[in-house]
Amino acid sequence: MAAHLPLGYSVRNVLARPARSLMTATVIALVVVACALLLGLIGSLRRTLIASGEALNLVVMRKGSDNDGSSQVTLEAYQMVRFLDGIARDAGDQPMVSPELVVQPFLRRLDGGRENVLVRGVEAMALPVHPEVRITQGRMIAPSAGEAVVGRGLVGRYEGAVLGGELRFGRGRWKVTGVLDAGGSSFESEIWVDARELGRDAKRLFPYSGVRLRARDAATMAALKRRIDADPRHALEAKPEVEYYASQAESADVLYILVVGVAVLAGIGAGFGAANTMYASVQARTAEIGTLRAMGFARGAILRAFQVEAAALGVLGFVIGAVASLVLAYVIRHAFGGVGFSASTFTTNVVLLRIGVTELAVAFVLAVVVGLAGGIAPAWRAARLRPIEALRRA
Amino acid sequence: MSWTRLVLANLGRNPLRTVLTAAAVALAVALVSLLLTMPAGLDLILDRFASNTRISVHNKAGVVYPMPYAFTRKVRQVDGVVAAAAFTWFGGAYEEAGRVTFPNFAVEAEHVNAVYPDYAIDPGQMAAFLRYRDGAIVGRGTLKKYGWSLGDRITLKSTVWPVDLDLRIVGEVANDTAPMLWLRYDYLDEALKKQGWTGLGIAGVVWARVSDPKLVNAVMRTVDDLSRNSEAETASETEKSFFGNFFGSLDGLVRIILVITSLVALCIVFIAGNTTSMSVRERAGEIAVLRALGFPRRTIVQALVAEALLVVTGAGILGVLLAVGLTGTLRTVAGWNQTLGPLGNFMVTPGVVVQGLLLSVAMGLTAGIAPALGAVRRPVAEALREVF
Repeated sequence: MAAHLPLGYSVRNVLARPARSLMTATVIALVVVACALLLGLIGSLRRTLIASGEALNLVVMRKGSDNDGSSQVTLEAYQMVRFLDGIARDAGDQPMVSPELVVQPFLRRLDGGRENVLVRGVEAMALPVHPEVRITQGRMIAPSAGEAVVGRGLVGRYEGAVLGGELRFGRGRWKVTGVLDAGGSSFESEIWVDARELGRDAKRLFPYSGVRLRARDAATMAALKRRIDADPRHALEAKPEVEYYASQAESADVLYILVVGVAVLAGIGAGFGAANTMYASVQARTAEIGTLRAMGFARGAILRAFQVEAAALGVLGFVIGAVASLVLAYVIRHAFGGVGFSASTFTTNVVLLRIGVTELAVAFVLAVVVGLAGGIAPAWRAARLRPIEALRRA
Repeated sequence: MSWTRLVLANLGRNPLRTVLTAAAVALAVALVSLLLTMPAGLDLILDRFASNTRISVHNKAGVVYPMPYAFTRKVRQVDGVVAAAAFTWFGGAYEEAGRVTFPNFAVEAEHVNAVYPDYAIDPGQMAAFLRYRDGAIVGRGTLKKYGWSLGDRITLKSTVWPVDLDLRIVGEVANDTAPMLWLRYDYLDEALKKQGWTGLGIAGVVWARVSDPKLVNAVMRTVDDLSRNSEAETASETEKSFFGNFFGSLDGLVRIILVITSLVALCIVFIAGNTTSMSVRERAGEIAVLRALGFPRRTIVQALVAEALLVVTGAGILGVLLAVGLTGTLRTVAGWNQTLGPLGNFMVTPGVVVQGLLLSVAMGLTAGIAPALGAVRRPVAEALREVF
């Protein structure tokens, strides 16, 4: 069996025609950038929704509601839930049950226009039940004081959404006393105010739209869920909080169709581009290939050398594309701020575009596959060249 | 001498390369067109479907803040208002999805047709909507998606109200992208009363049609004045402004789509430019011979540019056609989606076709001119010496 051609041979060939290789690599790089951007966007949206929710928390809503914006819960139902067995207790021995009222009023965007923003009316138990939510600037609201804390994602997007600012929504005005941070979860796209004040402002028939509670452990969580689902009087339904947010994330799935479409179309296009370059490379080196064959290198070695060259083109494209997409994502993040999505609840989720390792890994595979797919036919042609003919043609 | 034959002969010189380039460009143009249909879908709704005589009246605080149902009557009495109908979000989920997969509202059956004459609902179907309390009018987009036809019975579970309603489809809005479902306001009201509620009593949005576009502003002012200092102050706006605001949160997504679109367009330039420069370089000797024979530079440049244009523009046309074919598939797969809103309509508008074609012409020129000029600028003697 004849020897393999050294790796350096293939790599040097990429560099031998820098302009042409760079053109092809740029085409692959552009595909990488397009896919990385879209993937990063969807990934950020999914991460936001999936990161929300505590493992031991239950969301209690009216049966049939798919989100707490459209649910209603009576005071009696809340009282019933509050005294169920199996609910964790806080330091003051109070059951960790947070009744919440969700309303989606209009807020004016600083750059004009308006959006539905999720405003959550809460009581004192909200912070213990949602441990991921921390007030990082200012302080939590005081009850009945017309105060609000705003999620980090909203700061600078809406009029008055800044520490010390004044928000106008619903029928009233609200003083911003703090900014909340929730580890990238969707609470960062919310405004929290006093539940009773919000109920009065929105003139809601029911004091709450849902109840969030913390179970003592996984076993009692399942029992609590069964107990709440089976209650005949209040027609309630309990869902693990993690599941609740995961189901909201399904709305992002259709975006994946978009990414796959872009990746496939752009990838095939770029593959053709790469094939063109590789064919030209084979054609230009006919004599060289003939010489190699005459020296005793086997067809497999030639095939392999050209495929390595094509893959190297792909890798080069990936490197250029990865750098470009990271820069572009940074620019978009700083020039445009967060990207707003209207979630399935008709409220706005503000997502920061970030390109992570997963997105880059997918883009890497795409780039190498595009390079290899584009290289297969030319490499095959190179391997099939008959040495004598190749030498004669030269 | 006509250089058409020269151009055609050159295209056939390396058929594999021509085909590969054309295919790459066609795919890229298809992709650009597809991406452009997304923002175009938004504009389409705003420009074509939003009437300039229709206004929405809703609570100033937001569409989820209700208005008293009785306010609809007040709107109807305002001078210049031809018709007004209350709309309330039903939020019905069709069985398997378990979530809302198309927008559905409880509407006032007796008024809705006069507010939406442009929907051109068949009079017979409208009569059936008035006759059957459980009747429903469905947009053709949703009809097609679920394979429903007139006369079918469906059940929607409301995610907002504590009721499931059995509906019979009695009519359609004959537009392939219309996703909505209208059911009757009184049917929902009655169902709620059966549950021990006091009834609906509220309207989410009142849509009204004004007799004359010139009166629209006055009517909106009058309506908002009527509600001043009441429990539910209203904010009226034109249909265009309503949808513009409603979809305003998509701006960020649209920007990113446009960034990606331009990247793909740039891709085309590189692919086409790469090929052209390759083939021009290979033909350096030939071009020098042509020059030596006395062909003027202009003719040679024209022939080379024409060659690039022919490949790229021809491929561009194919790409646009491909996009038209693909959108059909995408529409059925994606359907109405709250995350994408009208961006998910995937309608190839004339604007998108024109942009796709212009793009490919521009790309063909760009890719052709630079290498061609480079080739004819080289001194003939130098080129010939290098080749022979």
